[in-house]
Amino acid sequence: MSTTSPVAPATGQAPVRRISYSRAINEAMAEEMERDERVFVMGQDVGAFGGVFGLTRNLYKRFGADRVIDTPISETFLVGGGVGAALTGLRPIVELQYADFLWNAGDEVIGKMSKWRYMHGSLFTVPMVLRLPEGAAGGAGPEHSTCPEAALLPATGTYIVIPSTPYDAKGLLKSAIRDDNPVAFFEHKGMYGLKGEVPEEEYTIPLGQADIKRAGSDVTVIAWGRLVHRALEAAELAAAEGIDVEVLDPRGLRPLDVEAITRTIEKTGRVVITHEAGRTGGAGAEIAAIIAETCLTSLEAPIRRVCGIETPIPQSLHLEQFIIPTADDLFQAIKETAAF
Amino acid sequence: MLTPETKIAIYRMMYLAQQWEMQLLRFLDDGQVSGFYHAGRGHEALEVASMMAVRTDDYLLYDHRGCAHMIAKGMSMVELYGDFLGNDKGSTTGLGAGIVHIADPAHGVLGQSGTLGGGHVLAAGAALSIKIRKTDQVAVNFFGDGAANRGTFHEGANVAGAWKLPMIYILQNNGWAISTPQARVTAVEHFSERAAGYGMVGVTIDGMDPWLVYETMAEAVERARTGGGATLIEGMVNRQRGHYEGDPMTYRPDEEIAAAKALDPVPATRQRLVDEGVLDDGALTELETEVLAEVQAAAAEAQTGTLPGRERLDQGVYA
Repeated sequence: MSTTSPVAPATGQAPVRRISYSRAINEAMAEEMERDERVFVMGQDVGAFGGVFGLTRNLYKRFGADRVIDTPISETFLVGGGVGAALTGLRPIVELQYADFLWNAGDEVIGKMSKWRYMHGSLFTVPMVLRLPEGAAGGAGPEHSTCPEAALLPATGTYIVIPSTPYDAKGLLKSAIRDDNPVAFFEHKGMYGLKGEVPEEEYTIPLGQADIKRAGSDVTVIAWGRLVHRALEAAELAAAEGIDVEVLDPRGLRPLDVEAITRTIEKTGRVVITHEAGRTGGAGAEIAAIIAETCLTSLEAPIRRVCGIETPIPQSLHLEQFIIPTADDLFQAIKETAAF
Repeated sequence: MLTPETKIAIYRMMYLAQQWEMQLLRFLDDGQVSGFYHAGRGHEALEVASMMAVRTDDYLLYDHRGCAHMIAKGMSMVELYGDFLGNDKGSTTGLGAGIVHIADPAHGVLGQSGTLGGGHVLAAGAALSIKIRKTDQVAVNFFGDGAANRGTFHEGANVAGAWKLPMIYILQNNGWAISTPQARVTAVEHFSERAAGYGMVGVTIDGMDPWLVYETMAEAVERARTGGGATLIEGMVNRQRGHYEGDPMTYRPDEEIAAAKALDPVPATRQRLVDEGVLDDGALTELETEVLAEVQAAAAEAQTGTLPGRERLDQGVYA
């Protein structure tokens, strides 16, 4: 069994420091604000308070009130105003307090951020990043806990990026800020405290490149966000039974690295797709369809999906834990897929 | 401030916008232009005179009511016709944007939200951008009495007031949200009353009086450029035609339509120039002949454009 690092590639002999996912995101914003004066941050409570999840800590002190802007509770302004600022020479980073608030700014996300450039004849660019804290964590309840990334699949024009490690979060966010297209950047709240290797030196990760988080030859698990870690746990359980699992993290849904997906399917012939959002209308359906279209004949077993339970996410912390696929759920699916 | 030259320039632009639209309506009648067009007849004074009080580098989010604001802001008539004809002479090079999605970054024309009222928040963002970049530009957002009731207005106007943004809201109140009269869905008589609630200046003016529009706008622009914050200008206007071409207007009493047409700001402004001794009838006729030739030349050039092929569809989706 061969493995690659689930966090960061080793960089020479020096020990690589370990920082949290949230600090990686904070560093990416600070570095890009330092690098480019057109970059600014706005959101609810992002100023002196540093954001409800602490993601913008110290930015206000360092860059001032003109570039770290506390807004009212006005999601249509946050996103629509971000578009207006992006059209006129700035590069906004807009933080929605929760990814679920995409619905509060539905037209601004779908109709404006995603379409403004195209519908106006590509005369503009919309270089903005919409940061979206997502996922079930800490009993935030049905309206503050979802992973709505699939809702943006039809929003052609907007990239969808979902980092699963501190290393990816920093490198992808820096690329997202520098990109001239709007980027929806989903950060799982349950990973904010997760630590991983992040080098001191500058690096970026191109958008739309999948990453093999664990190489293997028997079954592929396609996972993103927090479920990458459960997939890696499941892979260890499977390894104990002699099943060699490959974990492919697309690191987002658009651009989607179809080539990497095809490559892993051609290699293993067996695939389990997992995400925290519910199965119906989830992004796993789109990936399954792409696999069927591009490499159906390479499959040795039916495509398997392991997804979140399709109920509103309960407020109860006790019940919340049962919503999300576990490493054991994935291990069972891997075993069945391997045995097919 | 309002010199004879400015008055002449305003009338010239109003007449040009009117003639531009009349030619567009002929294109529609001939079946050369498809889709919905929301004629701006009756709104020329408000759209033109306000835009003549701003600079090229100021921002405009226009509304769907005619094209006079875009023309006055400096957009090419050829490009406008090209957009309606859907050919490569248009600003969007063949996407066939029609009234909704014409744009011209070089003249600060940022485009339009097809969902009415979507521009309220984009304009506030453009105004915030001006403040962050510390320029003395202003952002202007046009909308009607219908879109005035969108929730987005609240979110945009609230920050425009709170942050003293260089924002000018121009509300074209023609009393009709398609078929719904203002009083049926709005408690206040004048939307400008709402401005105080956002900490901005609000005024209601006769939007058919181009001199008054220009002076009111100049004052709002001066306030915005010098850090005095946002203004809501409600211009009372008459919609002469249907909401869209083909609208049977069964909801509107005939006498109300006749009254609206009788108050046409274009001939009224012409008469004013004569009465004020700015230009005589002969000079005005000469000016109009010149304008007509410009409009016809633009229309002819736009018609030389070609429709794009299927490959146009996926060009420029991403930067």
